[in-house]
Amino acid sequence: MIIDGLVYLGSSHFGYELDAASAITGMDGVGTDIAIAVPVHPAGADFGPVNDAVIAAALDSAGRLIPLARVDPWAGDAAVVELRRAVLAGARGLFLHPSEEHFRINDIRVRPIVECAAELGIPVTVSAGFHLFAEGLQLGHAAEWTPDNAFVLTNGGQFNISGLGQFDAELALQNPNVHVQTSGIYREDFLERVVATFGPERLIFASAAPMFEMTYERKRVDLAHFNDVERQLILGGNSARIFGIEE
Amino acid sequence: MIIDMHMHIEEVASLGWKMSADDCIRAMDAAGVDRAAVMTLTDLPGLNPAGLELIADACASHPDRLYGFIRLHPAHLQLSKDLLRQATTDLGFKGLKLHPVSTLQHPGAPPTIELVRLAGELGVPTLFHCGDEPMTTPLSIAKTAAACPDSIIILGHMGGYFHVDEALEVAERYPNIVLETSAMPYPEKIRTAVERIGAERVIFGSDGPVSSPSLERQKVVIAGLGEAAAALVMGGNAAALLGLAA
Repeated sequence: MIIDGLVYLGSSHFGYELDAASAITGMDGVGTDIAIAVPVHPAGADFGPVNDAVIAAALDSAGRLIPLARVDPWAGDAAVVELRRAVLAGARGLFLHPSEEHFRINDIRVRPIVECAAELGIPVTVSAGFHLFAEGLQLGHAAEWTPDNAFVLTNGGQFNISGLGQFDAELALQNPNVHVQTSGIYREDFLERVVATFGPERLIFASAAPMFEMTYERKRVDLAHFNDVERQLILGGNSARIFGIEE
Repeated sequence: MIIDMHMHIEEVASLGWKMSADDCIRAMDAAGVDRAAVMTLTDLPGLNPAGLELIADACASHPDRLYGFIRLHPAHLQLSKDLLRQATTDLGFKGLKLHPVSTLQHPGAPPTIELVRLAGELGVPTLFHCGDEPMTTPLSIAKTAAACPDSIIILGHMGGYFHVDEALEVAERYPNIVLETSAMPYPEKIRTAVERIGAERVIFGSDGPVSSPSLERQKVVIAGLGEAAAALVMGGNAAALLGLAA
């Protein structure tokens, strides 16, 4: 089973968009069975409607889409309330985007939300690699708050075209609950080193569509030098385990 | 002919960096790449004093496959100018590589401009690392392009993750700018580049062998350029820049 660890659904305040039908068409085109779906940043400040929209899309998708709830830590206690509400409505995980919501991932305001996710038994996925908001060591720090709960970092935990983000991302991976996604990572040697150093259970295929392109992102995994067991885990086994998806 | 305009060979034990000419050749063969421009990961003068010889030996060992670019430190201006003349005139090097992250030299500062002008006088292009870090963004390197209109300036990575649109804008503004496709993650931006500045000013690169030339080649395939434009991007333009065209 092929599971894409991240697609964004909706029309973002920041100008990108993907609807559920287009997402599934794209998934069919590249042989993806299931995708983990997160809401985009809404036009206003209320994340409830976008969470409900993604949950509804997932309910309509015959199991092709697994919804996560997105909340804004600047909402304070209301963010925890919204997370609990969305999980009751069907969300299977928490998604945080420190760059688009402008918060530092290891800010103390974030901790109650991450701890709530752990209490609810749902994994946390974080849009990672952004300067000031979601740097490798900041992400590692936040992952320490709930060491027994899966903490998934998009983009290999980094964004740097000189390869300078690799070091801190690997330090973050020293937290056993940290996993990294393949989206956008141009360094094949980094992806292979994550598997060799930390194990194939720690690397997760994700396209991050529509930010990145589904076909090209899949090829990052297909062309890297993994054995069959490793590739099966990366392409779907790890997401199945983390998000409780029956294979 | 497929030509990769951005590959690396290096050997610096203190940094744990070791990638050989044979590593490049293996990655090229796996990707169906015929020829490649190769350069070190360190600057001269710098951590690898034998960098010039390393690249020269690699090219001599693989004639008609590897072509040298010399990576220099503009702050050591006179020595860099001497090395650039030696590399291009005596050793057959085909280009200059500059990486402002490691040299801390702004592209618009006088030493870099003087060195890039010399590259133009010697008839070789200058490949800049062009990403998201300060001093490497398209607007930074546009200062060089404006000051050196007779030098070909290649924006390696064409702006990285977050500056690709600016790379397109400065390429429209300065006709001596060429965009190189490695590492940046958006296939559709290659097609946009071809549409906005012409296929003659876009070139394929991989940043290999630690990045995958096979994967990077697929990015251009997915861009869907059409046969004529793809032929230019994948090798025709590079052949001209390397002086290989008939």
